[in-house]
Amino acid sequence: MRIELPEILETIRMTEVEHFDIRTVTMGINLKDCISDSLPKLKNNIYEKLMRTAAEHVATAEKVEAQYGISIANKRISVTPIALVGDGYYAEDFVEIAAVLDKAADNLGVDYLGGFSALVQKGFSKGDLSLIRAIPEALTSTKHVCASVNVATTKAGINMDAVYLMGKIIKETAEKSADADGVGCAKLVVFANAPEDNPFIAGAFHGISEPDVVVNVGISGPGVILRAVKEAWHTDFPTLADHIRRMAFKITRAGEFVGRKVAELQNIPYGIVDISLAPTPMPGDSIADILKAMGLEDVGAPGTTAALALLNDAVKRGGLMASSHVGGMSGAFIPVSEDQGMISAARAGHITLEKMEAMTSVCSVGIDMVAVPGDTRAESIAGLIADECAIGVSNNKTTAVRIIPVPGKGIGEEADYGGLLGIAPIMPLSKIDNSHFIHRGGRIPAPVKGINN
Amino acid sequence: MSQLNESEIRRIAELAVRQLQGQATPANVEKVVREAISRMAPKGEASSAVNPERMKNVPFSAPAKGARIILTAFGTNSIGILAGLTAELAALKCDIVDLSQKIMQDFFTIMILVDSSNSDVPYEEIRERMARVGETFNLKVIVQHEDIFKTMHRV
Repeated sequence: MRIELPEILETIRMTEVEHFDIRTVTMGINLKDCISDSLPKLKNNIYEKLMRTAAEHVATAEKVEAQYGISIANKRISVTPIALVGDGYYAEDFVEIAAVLDKAADNLGVDYLGGFSALVQKGFSKGDLSLIRAIPEALTSTKHVCASVNVATTKAGINMDAVYLMGKIIKETAEKSADADGVGCAKLVVFANAPEDNPFIAGAFHGISEPDVVVNVGISGPGVILRAVKEAWHTDFPTLADHIRRMAFKITRAGEFVGRKVAELQNIPYGIVDISLAPTPMPGDSIADILKAMGLEDVGAPGTTAALALLNDAVKRGGLMASSHVGGMSGAFIPVSEDQGMISAARAGHITLEKMEAMTSVCSVGIDMVAVPGDTRAESIAGLIADECAIGVSNNKTTAVRIIPVPGKGIGEEADYGGLLGIAPIMPLSKIDNSHFIHRGGRIPAPVKGINN
Repeated sequence: MSQLNESEIRRIAELAVRQLQGQATPANVEKVVREAISRMAPKGEASSAVNPERMKNVPFSAPAKGARIILTAFGTNSIGILAGLTAELAALKCDIVDLSQKIMQDFFTIMILVDSSNSDVPYEEIRERMARVGETFNLKVIVQHEDIFKTMHRV
């Protein structure tokens, strides 16, 4: 089989000019076998298992990068939801467990470790509640640990007690890290229908039905999709979709290939490739720019949701053909602070939370890395979470909220988190009172759609 | 390669404890388990799916037989580029299978398909040495295993 020169040059252009990389290779590690009735022993078990299992993860990924000339931006770890591993312990114990996870992540050389998580869509166990209460302190006192809480599913409905509690926890987390513009909240995701094999931080955790160890991959590549869309400037929609689909095929194949190699070399099973398009704050690595290249003046223009739907579907078509195991989120991410185009749209007031809520229905998660004024009430945040959950639950899809009420700041100001987290212009969230609705308590029943047997 | 994972090892250990009954000291159990594993695994191969000892020996970078590498280089044209690159490849015992070169307005591009199966130099070193040759000519040299192109551009 002869490889043609244009194909080689295209690959080089993708990696060298268009920032094509594999966004993350995430090793999922089961910690259920670490459970112990003694806290020091539990902590030791977790540390030992992580150090033993992931010892070669970063080094292996780096070897694969060198061999195939495709860079892997992040090497990460996800673990069994810690509420399960530490059930029975108190909140202060969970803070200690978070410290152990942080130490292991540090020594293993990974930037983030996901799985300080609880699944409470139907109700809380004692461990779930303790873990959630530990989140503000755990996220403030650690560097690498990420937390997520699943509060709703299509089968169980929406746990509104958890939604309200998370509204308060988000406020508390922001206030604890007030000196850094509430950065703790950037490591905290509230989910509906959370996937168990998601490789993307901050929402990654190693689901309870997963094997002992597994490698999952998240692709990237807004830059190459942007080029494909630009090349299709004068075409109609079917041709535009075709351009995106073909490019998505190539980047997914690269992602799948790299993931399989990393798994194979460590002799552990390969899980899935998550075909989400994930932006970074780097110029040219933006989802918003893709939507603009389709013919919108800016994100937020009427037609934005349709453009995103087209993009998302075309990426899936290419990706599904390219990989036998597609999983995780597999949709486009539209984080505000991590996407240059979204940042400028938010600054100009072109994109609003209401429009983003609409976009949620056709993208990967929804309200992601959004900063709101520091005086936003917990009930308002809870209401936003409930709305996002309703979209997820009713449409049988994953939705999520990662929101930062920036302490002491208001509309017109910005929070700069630096690096991958980027800059978040503070966006207005409606102040219309919803407290009676949020305070009702209990669970919003599962939709008829969830009863499908 | 044997693929014993932790749960299999645990199962063997439990079996050993049952067999040994009263004499199940940690040392005895370990001995029985070791024997059981060595019966299952071919000699010289460690077993656990997540054994760090074994991981140390993972031959990441050993090029497989028939491994083909694609070297791409581009930059401003100057005299002796091709000679420099091919001389170094020859020194590395890398066989040139195919070569395609273009010069467009002083901009030099080359693609060389290399068979490295006769080379005893590790892949990383080939990569590094070729990059160094590139530097002397002000070229960007990219060395990649052929499989990535096959994967991305062929169904």
